[in-house]
Amino acid sequence: MNVLLLLLYTAASVAYAVQFARRTFGTNRAATVLLVLVAFAHTFVIGMETMRAGHVPSSTATTAISTFVWLLALSYLYLELTTGERAMGVFILPLLVALQAIPTFGGSFSEPRSAMLESPWFGVHVSSLLFAYASFALAGVLGITYVLQFKEIKAKDLGFFYDRLPSLNVLDEMNLRAVKIGWLFLTVGLITGGIWASQLQPSASSAPSSMSMADPKIFVAVLCWAVYSFELYAQRAIGWRGRRAAWLSAVGFGIVLLNFVPVSYFFTTSHNF
Amino acid sequence: MQLLLVGVSHRTAPIELRERLDFSARGVDRALTALSNVAAQHEATIVSTCNRVELYVGCDDPDVARSAIQAFLAEFHGIPDDQLAPHIYAKTGQDAVTHLFRVASGLDSLVMGEPQIFGQVKEAFSVASEMGCTGSMLNKLFHSAFAAGKRVRTETPLSEGAVSVSYAAVELARKIFGDLKGRAVLVLGAGEMGKLTAIHMQSQGIGRLIITSRTAAHATALAESIGGTAIAWESLNTGLVEADILITATGASVPIISHALISQTMKARRQRPLFVIDIAVPRDVEASAGDLEQVFLYNIDDLQAVVQENISKRGTAASDAERIVAQEAGKFLGWLNSRGAVPTIVALRQRFEAIRQSELRRLEPKLASLPPEARARVEEVTRLILEKLLISPTEQLKAASDADTVAAYSDALNRLFGLTSDDAADDGSLTTAGSGRSSKKPAQ
Repeated sequence: MNVLLLLLYTAASVAYAVQFARRTFGTNRAATVLLVLVAFAHTFVIGMETMRAGHVPSSTATTAISTFVWLLALSYLYLELTTGERAMGVFILPLLVALQAIPTFGGSFSEPRSAMLESPWFGVHVSSLLFAYASFALAGVLGITYVLQFKEIKAKDLGFFYDRLPSLNVLDEMNLRAVKIGWLFLTVGLITGGIWASQLQPSASSAPSSMSMADPKIFVAVLCWAVYSFELYAQRAIGWRGRRAAWLSAVGFGIVLLNFVPVSYFFTTSHNF
Repeated sequence: MQLLLVGVSHRTAPIELRERLDFSARGVDRALTALSNVAAQHEATIVSTCNRVELYVGCDDPDVARSAIQAFLAEFHGIPDDQLAPHIYAKTGQDAVTHLFRVASGLDSLVMGEPQIFGQVKEAFSVASEMGCTGSMLNKLFHSAFAAGKRVRTETPLSEGAVSVSYAAVELARKIFGDLKGRAVLVLGAGEMGKLTAIHMQSQGIGRLIITSRTAAHATALAESIGGTAIAWESLNTGLVEADILITATGASVPIISHALISQTMKARRQRPLFVIDIAVPRDVEASAGDLEQVFLYNIDDLQAVVQENISKRGTAASDAERIVAQEAGKFLGWLNSRGAVPTIVALRQRFEAIRQSELRRLEPKLASLPPEARARVEEVTRLILEKLLISPTEQLKAASDADTVAAYSDALNRLFGLTSDDAADDGSLTTAGSGRSSKKPAQ
């Protein structure tokens, strides 16, 4: 199932690359239609998995990544369909393909369900964080495209990206909006995570002891929170908009990715979801 | 009916002559009324802009119609024929179709790909069509031209990229700010270039236009003429804080906007982006100001480089556009030629039906003894046989899209079935007269 999804995402990725280069009506529509179909397929897979397991697949690193890919695809589609801007697709789709490759080759979709994950706090915790990361992914891509176009305009070399991207102002505003939404969900995710961990404290014995800042995953998440908080603060207080905000979004998303892939796989011991 | 184009354009005639030939001064509707008295033509549309005057007509004999229209042009505008004749071009058939499609796509424009011409052609057609001057051929022709123009616009970048300095500035501003609605523009200097750029900005729906000049009276005069607010030269700094776009076009011999001034302003502006368009020569703004974060500084040379780049890009797009035009022209010609087959189809049907009727009449005495149901059956069966026999030739004729095939088929059918068509000599196709046979009446 994951292989099929991966192939579909790859096809959509190619379609977006073609539409970015050609920008004709046909290629534009083909790319969007393909992505909508992929999103439907992914929704179906996740829906089936949810019915089978009785909960949204999210409690191991691999299944969480697939859910994240799904959320990001939906968020991007929402952005595209509401603004009519397709230029970000060519950046988002390869990311989706790369992330979807992890559950495809890294592990199975079905997951064991331990008792400590039954808490409703856990569900809120994980889904908020996944949604926050999806927003940050969009913000990161918006930031990168902002910087690319900013450089072209500053250098008076109006070329490839200038012809294809929306205006700097639009990129900047969409970036800040995505960061705001992401920050909100990250905050909710961190707080519910904390509550969940503290509730576990009396009952369970092994896991909770490592639920502290010493856990790399928690540490990186808090670091993200700090970066994005600073971005929002700087934007309001000292006029750090435009390129600086764009860079912060790109860096912040780098950290998110770090948290997702290497930290989940190699460093964390107990917090492996 | 044949298509004929007679006209002059910026490629063949100097501006003085084009000005005199321009119909829009005296009204295209009046010209169309006058033209309808010229007997040689049946359908007409006049495309009249400052760069071209072109008459598209449907006529029986292009040679006759051409001289009649040339005489009409000379008479209507009061220009001696010998002055007019060397500048006039006439095209028929495929050449005329391709020409119109190229015009509508902007391929024949002075500035390649300029989009206004599409609207002008559309307007020209709607005037003619409202006055009842167009028939089925010109209707189809112009609608096909619009389809070609639209395809060129959506499928090629022929009309993309500004090709004038002031429009390049507007385009850059939109790339920085997105929508220019509500943005404030500050113009320094009351010269012609500053005015032109300000007017372009205004057409984008900017929120506020502020004008200042060392000579207060000049600023006030410009503000009054194009609609803006004049402020005193001394309050330049306040203007800078408010503005999103700064256009400098003064005659000052040294830069009047320093790096330090902009840097200081940017703090007061809380780093809101500032787009500085320095179109003055010598420059008004210190070049190093462009290094400031969120300051985008373009001088006249930068803008001209953008324009040059865009012009060369349009040149590359032109070959794609020509291909689309050729395709669309081919489609239209196919339609026109297949229309030429209609009279043959009609004649063939009439011939078959006549045979059937005469046979039925001949058998009348024998059939009379049959009961009414059986007679009805005979009637039906004979009719169905004819229909079945006619299906294939009808389809083949309609499917033939080039004029030679249509003519060959028609000719063969005429001979084989002895279709009398001497009374129908009019030609619906675009090739040389006599290649097809038809009547003036459209198909039933």
